[in-house]
Amino acid sequence: MVFQMIKFGNILNSRPAGHEAVLRAKQIINGSNDLEGIVLDFSAVEVLTPSFADEFIKGLKEIYQDKKITFKGIENNQVTKDTLASLGLIN
Amino acid sequence: MNLDFNNFYKNIDKIVKGSTIDLSKVEFVHPWSMVMICLLLIERKSDSNKKLILPSETETNTYLKRMRFDKILSELGYHEAKEGLDKVQVPGRNNINIHEVMHCYYRDEFNARLGRFITMFKNFGLNESDAQRATALVGELGNNVFDHNLGNWPTTVSGCIIAAQHYPTTHTIEIAVGDPGVGFYGSLKAAFPDVINDIEAIKLGLAGNTGRIGEIRGNGLKLIQRWTLQNFAGIVMIHSGNGLVIVDKSGMKDTKVNKILGTVAQFVINYA
Repeated sequence: MVFQMIKFGNILNSRPAGHEAVLRAKQIINGSNDLEGIVLDFSAVEVLTPSFADEFIKGLKEIYQDKKITFKGIENNQVTKDTLASLGLIN
Repeated sequence: MNLDFNNFYKNIDKIVKGSTIDLSKVEFVHPWSMVMICLLLIERKSDSNKKLILPSETETNTYLKRMRFDKILSELGYHEAKEGLDKVQVPGRNNINIHEVMHCYYRDEFNARLGRFITMFKNFGLNESDAQRATALVGELGNNVFDHNLGNWPTTVSGCIIAAQHYPTTHTIEIAVGDPGVGFYGSLKAAFPDVINDIEAIKLGLAGNTGRIGEIRGNGLKLIQRWTLQNFAGIVMIHSGNGLVIVDKSGMKDTKVNKILGTVAQFVINYA
């Protein structure tokens, strides 16, 4: 299933916001029939801070250990790529 | 007196006189000093004889008013100085190289205002990617303020204070974020009982350690350093308690300085 991260905001910042987003994502995923994998689409997101990314992505990984999490829409945002790389989530 | 980073420390004894903060000789205030002054004012908020002496130069007061320093003075109860600034006329035209000093009491307030920083950095001349990166840096500094002080503020004044200034001739931007919180030492001492002073605590924080026991955290400050140094050829300064640590391309320097309530962190950006 694809998550349009812009729906969580164009500036994704702070651990509490990341934690809240995990809880919301859990509801969406659990109510979905698309159980293949989780795609996080960062198209149109302007800023992704390490705090939000760490809390949100690691939170999802903890809940859905059997699902692969991949990233989309990061090609044109070097800062988002650097944030994900700093957390060891992409190379 | 041009109150930049170095001059602030050289002139601290002329500025701080007990409950009085004397800015009479000040001609220009850099963001670092602006935030420092705010913390000094917060520290003296409850003193019955607290006083702020405004700069004697009208131009400097115009600058302070443009930075909305009068709002801070009003919040903290420095009414006499606030009335002094009320008399100052600010020209209608905005100066896009100045960012008003911003006091966000709560995390939500800070997050809501973070979007303005992208616009500010673009107005300062940064390209889109650099503006996004600089905004992420401000975001992380602000996050630290709230993550480590929530429920533990030493006084009735909480939140972060942010000031920024663009220097177009040198292609430099200074952004300072301060807070009247527990400081690095106060935040880390429970998790690292062997830490004996503020400088050690700042260095522990910069190395990626966190005071939040049992939680895997601590990437924020490491990344702030890396991005500031590698992407902006910049400098990171942190003053917490009586410790000052400066990180630049030549390495890390530390020194013992005047004790403050809380922390001020600044990153300096150089851009082409």
